[in-house]
Amino acid sequence: MAAVCIASRVLTKKVLSSKALPAVSQSSRKLHFSIYGKSNAKVSDGISTQYPVVDHEFDAVVVGAGGAGLRAAFGLSEAGFNTACVTKLFPTRSHTVAAQGGINAALGNMENDDWRWHFYDTVKGSDWLGDQDAIHYMTEQAPHAVVELENFGMPFSRTDDGKIYQRAFGGQSLKYGKGGQAHRCCCVADRTGHSLLHTLYGRSLRYDTSYFVEYFALDLLMEDGEMGPSTASGPRTQSSPLLWLTYSGSCTSAHTSTGDGNAMVTRAGLPCQDLEFVQFHPTGIYGAGCLITEGCRGEGGILINSEGERFMERYAPNAKDLASRDVVSRSITIEIREGRGCGPEKDHAYLQLHHLPPQQLATRLPGISETAMIFAGVDVTKEPIPVLPTVHYNMGGIPTNYKGQVITHTPEEGDKVVPGLFACGEAACASVHGANRLGANSLLDLVVFGRACAHTITDICTPGEKLSPLKPNAGEESVANLDRLRFANGSLRTSEIRLNMQKTMQNHAAVFRTGKVLKEGCDKMDAVYQTLDDIKTFDRGIVWNTDLVETLELQNLMLNAVQTINSAEQRQESRGAHSREDFKDREDEYDYTKPLAGQQRKPIEQHWRKHTLSTVDPKTGKVTLKYRPVIDNSLDAEDCAAVPPAIRSY
Amino acid sequence: MSLLRVCAFTSKRLNTQLLFVDLSFAGCLRTASGAAKDKEPLRKAKTPQGRFDMDDEKPKDPLQKFPDDVNPATKEQGGPRGPEPTRYGDWERKGRCVDF
Repeated sequence: MAAVCIASRVLTKKVLSSKALPAVSQSSRKLHFSIYGKSNAKVSDGISTQYPVVDHEFDAVVVGAGGAGLRAAFGLSEAGFNTACVTKLFPTRSHTVAAQGGINAALGNMENDDWRWHFYDTVKGSDWLGDQDAIHYMTEQAPHAVVELENFGMPFSRTDDGKIYQRAFGGQSLKYGKGGQAHRCCCVADRTGHSLLHTLYGRSLRYDTSYFVEYFALDLLMEDGEMGPSTASGPRTQSSPLLWLTYSGSCTSAHTSTGDGNAMVTRAGLPCQDLEFVQFHPTGIYGAGCLITEGCRGEGGILINSEGERFMERYAPNAKDLASRDVVSRSITIEIREGRGCGPEKDHAYLQLHHLPPQQLATRLPGISETAMIFAGVDVTKEPIPVLPTVHYNMGGIPTNYKGQVITHTPEEGDKVVPGLFACGEAACASVHGANRLGANSLLDLVVFGRACAHTITDICTPGEKLSPLKPNAGEESVANLDRLRFANGSLRTSEIRLNMQKTMQNHAAVFRTGKVLKEGCDKMDAVYQTLDDIKTFDRGIVWNTDLVETLELQNLMLNAVQTINSAEQRQESRGAHSREDFKDREDEYDYTKPLAGQQRKPIEQHWRKHTLSTVDPKTGKVTLKYRPVIDNSLDAEDCAAVPPAIRSY
Repeated sequence: MSLLRVCAFTSKRLNTQLLFVDLSFAGCLRTASGAAKDKEPLRKAKTPQGRFDMDDEKPKDPLQKFPDDVNPATKEQGGPRGPEPTRYGDWERKGRCVDF
């Protein structure tokens, strides 16, 4: 069955956002590929006769069509660039659609507000690991971005006099933390992300962006350290809804969020930043990937272990089940580690609500019985809900500056821009979230930096600029990898290797992190990484080969996972979402619990207020870690003073 | 039934004929359902899957829409239905936490 697969090389400047996507394959028809009648695609046999390569030329390519990708794509099209958007899912199916929360902006509709207060809140929320120039940019642009979205047609909820309604959420305060709660969160009924995505997609159809839907981006092609073309290909596929395509055992991301952007950048030899900062929620439904609200515990729900004991009384005698999220997450993890987990594999805890009167549940938490039935299959008035700490967001990603340009770092030269490559969205790390993301800030991150990338590209480049010609064999490693995986005949299936990786990560790099556990995890992950050589795939076909695409995604997940666990093992402090039992304090250049006068400033090698930059050798799985200082100055010291580090307490 | 469909596809001129066919078929259906009423409807297991298949047990949406879509307490128009999503410090909807 000599089927033919088309690999497309899409030539131009790349914008990486969200995650990458799969491509259409052809049967053995006469090959031609034209988009909107523009036949600028050239087919070549340069790499392999089995896989003819189709070259497309565009001014700009956006990989990923989530909130950030769509915003960047049509921003570029609007500016006159011939833009392509490569996406492995249909744009309105990207994970942004699941973001039901709101979007923060200092519009000042409910009370007097100032973006500089939002700036302060975000810097503090990031535990002083966020780059203050990027945070300054984001919070200053927030009102413009939200008003722009509203002008695009996003139906925000309104006050009586027609202004956008804002509510209190996500650690926002007035007057630099001294003026009480701020109301900054704008929303669209209960589906802000869904509405955002549909608004942006609808808007993007006004411009002639070429969409390559269900194309899987394989690799970035770098030439002499500069961003050359990128290669996208692969048979069309759909991720199976029954499988967990994530590197944690339990997480809320879609099955298609597989860290493709980070992995492509890693394979290109560039570093990823701060991957150890992963945000957990203590009560995610076991096996389902959605979170149960803290309100359940607030209304009287209790957490129990396999012995039926209310174990929170031991860990937090006063607050009990209402202790803070990280305490609860750690307690559940410790119970599971010590063998008192529930279920056949003893790997989760129970959240009991059936001791509460059903009327109270129905009035205070409407909809919870439906949620519990759909996701956990339990009747909440009779049985407890199985829960365990679940990954919700990854603060780390591809390092960029505040303009969205991807950067590398050397101690001699400092931050250096990688020409031609930009990143935005959850895949990037600007870094505005630092060590901990505040609620309702991530949707803001998407639109502001998607827009920033589009503006930067418009400033730097001109549409129709001629590119240097591509080497005829560029992309051959990607095609070779594809071919190797397609005919892989080892002994372990993709699903088995993935399960091993997820279990290792959930057991060793979850909420409970100590040196010993992390070191064990690093060694186990290394072993799991080596088993990738022994992988076995079953589907040799070229059309709708889900096996092949899942294997490609597994490779991407592995690269992310090894970086996460190695970075976590090295970072010997507790900051934001990364908390270690053996190093419970934050280690900064000064000890901020005491007055600064008379303290010696520690050199960067001796403290931890710095970004981790991790690189991986894809052949061996060996992780190398370097560090980069945090940017502590805002864009304009007079307009907005930078916030000096302090102890983070609320 | 299939005869009915074929009629529908053929031509508009057959409309009047269609009506006759309709009436006669309706008559057939009534007698047919009369016979079926004697038998017990097939029961499905009380599994979650089975439950959702039965229309009469379909639960009403627990979150009621506000009159005119205006929240009476906060005067918010077009806002989230049901109780305030941020009342527990995270963004809650139907017991699920979607942001925190």
